[in-house]
Amino acid sequence: MQKAVRASPMSETQFAALVDAIAADPHQREELPALLREDHSLYDERGAAAIVRMRGWVLLAIARFGVSDAALIFLLEELDTGTDAYLLAAAARALRSYPRPTGALAPFVMRALARISYRDEPVLLETYGEYAVSSASTSPVRELLTTLAWLGPNARGILRELERFRGQSGGLSRKLRIDVDRTVHAIRSGDETGKPGTDSCCATPPDGVRSVSSWPLNCRGDAEPVESITLQDDKGELITFNEFFKGQPSIVVFFYTRCDNPMKCSLTVTKLARVQKMLEAQGFGDRIHTSAITYDPAFDLPARLRIYGEDRGVRMNAHHRMLRAVDDNDALRRHFELGVNFIGSLVNRHRIEAYVLDIGGRVATCFERIHWDEQQVVTRAIELLNETQS
Amino acid sequence: MATKRKAAKRSKSAKKRGASSQVLARRAVSIATNEQKSAKQRVAALAEAPLAAFGNDKDLAAVLSVLRNKDEPIAVRLGALESLQAASFSADVFAPYRGDYLATLRKVVDDPDPELRQRALGVLMRDKDGFAQQKLLDGLKNPDKALVPPEKALQLLSYDVHAEAYSVARDIVKTPPNDEARREALRLLAADASSAPMFEKLLRDKKELREIRQISASALNALNPEKLQKHAREILLDRSDYDDIKATSLTALAQFGDDESLGKDKALLESVDRLSAGKAPSKYKQSARRFLKKYDR
Amino acid sequence: MDVELQINNSISPAARFISWAPSPCRIRVTDPTGTSTPTVRIRVAGVSAAGGGAVIFWAGAAGGFSNSLDLIVPVNGTSVPFFTLGRFGQPSVNNGDVKIEARVGSTLVGSVPVMVRIRKNANALTAGERNRFVAAFAQLNNQGLGRFVDFRDMHTAAGDLEAHAGPGFLPWHRAYLLDLERELQAIDPSVALPYWRFDQGGPNLFTLDFMGVPDSLGTVHFSNTNPFQFWKTDGVQGINRRPLNGWNPNTQPGPNVLTEAQTLALGAQFSAFRTMQGNPHGTAHTRWGGSISSIATAAKDPLFFLLHCNVDRLWAKWQRQNGRFNPAQAASYDNNPGNRIGHNLADTMWPWNGLTGGQRPPTAPGGTLALSPFVSAPGLKPQVQSTLDYQGALSATSRMGFDYDDVQF
Repeated sequence: MQKAVRASPMSETQFAALVDAIAADPHQREELPALLREDHSLYDERGAAAIVRMRGWVLLAIARFGVSDAALIFLLEELDTGTDAYLLAAAARALRSYPRPTGALAPFVMRALARISYRDEPVLLETYGEYAVSSASTSPVRELLTTLAWLGPNARGILRELERFRGQSGGLSRKLRIDVDRTVHAIRSGDETGKPGTDSCCATPPDGVRSVSSWPLNCRGDAEPVESITLQDDKGELITFNEFFKGQPSIVVFFYTRCDNPMKCSLTVTKLARVQKMLEAQGFGDRIHTSAITYDPAFDLPARLRIYGEDRGVRMNAHHRMLRAVDDNDALRRHFELGVNFIGSLVNRHRIEAYVLDIGGRVATCFERIHWDEQQVVTRAIELLNETQS
Repeated sequence: MATKRKAAKRSKSAKKRGASSQVLARRAVSIATNEQKSAKQRVAALAEAPLAAFGNDKDLAAVLSVLRNKDEPIAVRLGALESLQAASFSADVFAPYRGDYLATLRKVVDDPDPELRQRALGVLMRDKDGFAQQKLLDGLKNPDKALVPPEKALQLLSYDVHAEAYSVARDIVKTPPNDEARREALRLLAADASSAPMFEKLLRDKKELREIRQISASALNALNPEKLQKHAREILLDRSDYDDIKATSLTALAQFGDDESLGKDKALLESVDRLSAGKAPSKYKQSARRFLKKYDR
Repeated sequence: MDVELQINNSISPAARFISWAPSPCRIRVTDPTGTSTPTVRIRVAGVSAAGGGAVIFWAGAAGGFSNSLDLIVPVNGTSVPFFTLGRFGQPSVNNGDVKIEARVGSTLVGSVPVMVRIRKNANALTAGERNRFVAAFAQLNNQGLGRFVDFRDMHTAAGDLEAHAGPGFLPWHRAYLLDLERELQAIDPSVALPYWRFDQGGPNLFTLDFMGVPDSLGTVHFSNTNPFQFWKTDGVQGINRRPLNGWNPNTQPGPNVLTEAQTLALGAQFSAFRTMQGNPHGTAHTRWGGSISSIATAAKDPLFFLLHCNVDRLWAKWQRQNGRFNPAQAASYDNNPGNRIGHNLADTMWPWNGLTGGQRPPTAPGGTLALSPFVSAPGLKPQVQSTLDYQGALSATSRMGFDYDDVQF
């Protein structure tokens, strides 16, 4: 069911003032990370570009007074999968306000650098909603390099990659090459205060930063009221939530076909295909269900779901389905506490989220924001299967 | 004239001597940025510059400066833009300059020249630039701030389905400033699932413009393909409907319909038979005959 | 007596497509009734329909090409190899418009229809060729639901570096076009990708029945019978394309776009020739406003594929002119140490290699390169180097099964 369309009550200027006020108040500024939740009502009915401006401003406000562990996950999320120049620059700058620079942060910064380097552009971080009309201002590459330099020897784990980055033909202006050289120097020199960390392929958040949440059996939310909502699969077949998800553990990801961030939905569904192969290889292909559910059921009709899945290697049969909610999409959203928001029926922003459900169809584990590890998800699903058998 | 011939001869012999493309680029940029040369010479020089040789910060800054400079002849500024846009297709060479380029484009979106405004906004919108989106949306909500006509703004906004353009597009469909704007608003709304009922209505409205009905058919084909197939069939059966929309309907059935069920649909085949033999333009009749041939009629 | 003719070493009708490069064939006696000798002399020759394609023959190893070939074929069913190829300058117009006939004396003992399927100038297509191409392409798009989505997704900002950031630009696009063409041929095997001569006017190309006619806004219009009227990409209906600066693409070449002669004269070394990425390639893109004028959106416009087909044809012509089919030859390719991944000769190319993450894009839409029913090159996960010898000039197994109307074998 489409959400009722209503005009957002707060202008962006008012939003910026609100954020500044919260940030300036020492009793309130801990609430700033909550403003980064995608489903916050402040983001209802906003366009994607507006949300970029708004989120960036919150990140910069957080940066002014120090980044907490609660806020750090949002920064790492941006560095892990973000493609917007403004948000990457803001996240990189904000990271330098984190009180405990460690090697675990470096891979996130390096990945973001590799991703944005050919799409660098000037950004303005000082005034809300302003866009750079000259290259004199900063840019995400500059901010990311500065952050790597700030990490210093903590970033030694990615040094080789940074040097390779420096050596590649194209991509960097002469000025930026000088910045890279300075960064390399900063990483090489000085004493190491923390662990150097790994290279950027294996980025996991530092200790204390949570991207995986699990609940023991007696704490898991009941399947109600979603157990009877109707879903439609990639072949057009109708099935209720319970009919598909109850009776065995399931791995569920959320996506939509019009997502234009290749680091999010396209990669998520591609990884689901890998999960399916792993389950099959370990003999659990029929005993653990997998599903990708669209955030955008009005547009993502069965044919669209099927083609999207096929193109990413997803297997589709009775145990593995691409799904859309035919009724009460909002109930689904509430049940999973999805990190998504909309303008009309179109997604304006969402996080990465993958869930493992137990045999009752209850959420047992949630992997959010940072890209999840396929083996970790599979292992968790197998644990839940074993839980029922013990 | 003699100077021109000398310059052409020099250019030719430089090529004969196998001058490197970088030297040629430098020479071309030097002409392009020389205010003493004619606009025609400068535009030609910009077009000649072997763009893959653009590895020189100074040259690029010079061309960007021409683009930014309101005192330069507009033909030269547009030539600079085209030269830079062509260079952008050499991603590895152009990447270091991309930021400067985008910043300059943002600077010229409110230029006095409408063509330059439109082109700059076009390049930015194809890059899904938030700045350009904001300007276009502001212009649609407040015509005094409009940088381009509403139909152009809608067309450019359609490059990013996440631009918050649907509600303003719906308003424009209800109260269009002109026919083109209405058409572009409908084209944009073809990606909006909630607009499917509207497109059904427009498709079946015989009083609607041919083009609007054609857009509606295409929109419905994406938003609700089964409905489009049903309406396409009904349109073909309707003797009072126009041949052009019948031709669109027939194309939809031929391309996207289920061959087996179409082949068994006697009433449909008879109506297509009528189209093939009637007074419709020959192109439509040929299309009808091709359709019938598929089912051995 | 009856014989079986195998074209491209196959009896499948899907293999009965030939180009200018020799296709391996076989003939064998399937019914020896009426013969009393252990072998029989069979003449194979081509018979063309009026205006159709024409074929010639080659025994292989030694000897030249000829209009017919006499073969001594055992009656015990053992097959005898030979080669057939299209007569340069006489491509087919329709599928099966040339037959290969086998005769013993004047008696016809076997016959197969074939097609000399060649990539042609889009402006010179017959109405039938045009309609089949447009219908197949629109079906591939399938109002935004078809396999075309992958081709659109391959050519976005995410894949920009793979396709454009180095000397692999030409090999990558050659593989890209071939992948698309094979998908089109899976819908209609008589279709070959045509090219847009951007250095010439295209009066038959920019029409309501073909690539459409833009209005002053740049919205492209199609006739009610043109399947492109349903074209959709990124969920958005239609095509935006506007000729700039008063240019009339129907009657004029793209302004300041290097001509074919100028392009071929860029230099005999690949390092010089590849500057064509800027001009004429980049220039052809940017004579227009609209989708085709930016990398991230260019593949939304079907004209993009015709533009690139011409780019590839120019490369093919340059290769033929300069003998640049061998990747081991430095002049054939810029294999520099500083090349980005995906641009070195031995690199496999994204997305067909399925490699993601690290220096590669995060996902690889579309899977491996589409197969051909009768050639194995360039492989499911082509390397840069395997795109050079597209005609099989050096090695017959490198032949990719396509040719251009004006680039000889």
